[in-house]
Amino acid sequence: MQGLDLALGRGQVLGLLGINGAGKSTTLAMIAGALAPDSGRVLLDGQELAEQPALARRLVGWLPERAPLWQELTVGEHLDAHGRLRGLKGAALKRARSSIVERLELAPLERRLAGVLSQGQRQRLGLACALVHQPALLVLDEPGNALDPVQLAALRALIREQAAAGTAVILSTHVLAEVTAVCDRVAILHEGTLRHDDVLAEHDHAALEQRFFAIATTKAAA
Amino acid sequence: MSAMARLELRRLFMRPLAWVLGALTLAWLAWNFTLLLGNFLAAQIRLAALPDGPGYTDLVGVPLLAQLAQLAFLVVPLLSMSTLAGERREGRLALLLGMGLMPTRIVLGKYAAVLAWLLAWLALTLAMPLALAHATSIDWGKLAAAALGVALLLAGLAALGLACSAFASHPALAAAAALVITLGLWAVNLGAQVAGVDDGALNWLAMSSHLQPMLRGLVASPDVVWFVLLGVVCLALAIRRVGAERERD
Repeated sequence: MQGLDLALGRGQVLGLLGINGAGKSTTLAMIAGALAPDSGRVLLDGQELAEQPALARRLVGWLPERAPLWQELTVGEHLDAHGRLRGLKGAALKRARSSIVERLELAPLERRLAGVLSQGQRQRLGLACALVHQPALLVLDEPGNALDPVQLAALRALIREQAAAGTAVILSTHVLAEVTAVCDRVAILHEGTLRHDDVLAEHDHAALEQRFFAIATTKAAA
Repeated sequence: MSAMARLELRRLFMRPLAWVLGALTLAWLAWNFTLLLGNFLAAQIRLAALPDGPGYTDLVGVPLLAQLAQLAFLVVPLLSMSTLAGERREGRLALLLGMGLMPTRIVLGKYAAVLAWLLAWLALTLAMPLALAHATSIDWGKLAAAALGVALLLAGLAALGLACSAFASHPALAAAAALVITLGLWAVNLGAQVAGVDDGALNWLAMSSHLQPMLRGLVASPDVVWFVLLGVVCLALAIRRVGAERERD
């Protein structure tokens, strides 16, 4: 990645677009604190992430592509483990768990092992784990993968709801419709560089599609 | 207990491998306990005639712990192989780092969980000879020294297993590497011993030179320090390797 300069305020939803291999997942991993940039800084709430990795623990919720789950643990145990790892304890953990279970309709799955969940259910559990500590920044890497149209609509509603509550959301995808449906801003990455960053209201779907294809089909030297 | 250790312990107790390993090895040890006890009872009259003859601890308790130590060479690599290699393969190590968890916390949490399982395994094995404590006379000092030696061995092997898991790309590779290194450390001085050298550097390096005195009831600080050093070096390597995950491309 190079020349990447992005800023995101509370309640904003940024759509990160790019073809496969454009650098979306790497960018999100750096923002979440899982990867350290060779140079440059990631600031969260004005504080540098590299100097205080514990910031990510408090402020960031990250759902990587293909939600990584522990097959041998139940849905409830996942939520407890993520809550504890994020520093929640006792009554606060119980409240956070029941709130997210209710919001994502996970109650019927609470005692089910993650290893037997369907792809859509796994994705929902991954999302619940990312949200259990009510992060200020939610980083979603292709969250719509494996979701059916009903689940996709629910995901969009959840993202809008999180944004309305003041959470900044970064949504990586290569599905343009997902971006136009929920994002305020769109950034397009190509071959490791930021090629476009603008407010989405200025575009309609067709204009965004045209812009995206123009960027995605150019070579780095161009 | 830290959240990481609690999570790892829960996972260990939910995985069939830990149960299978525990059940098979404890059944094997229980069978050997009855054999050792039978031999001890059969030799009672002969042993009573000896002025300083071996007792229950020498013939039952310590040999049982020595068998557990041998089983540990295989059990610990199998138990620890996926602690970090498996997490990395499934993308969960990146997730843990993305939660802002320091590599030290991740490694020590996982180490604490593996060690807790191994100490429970040791306690259940110790319970077999101790179950007859009311009916026989136990040399408590000798048994405690042997138990301490085996506990230190388990702690050292767990750290070694974790380090191998941190460096290996696949859990099976981690287990194989841990087994080979363990056997190497155990037998590194065999050649020197055959040549009649018993106090050289190779002898100091060998794990067997530090465990066997404790199994004989002799606790010396250099032996304890050797196991502590093994653990510290392996854990430091594992922490360094996990920290380097943040730097990868």
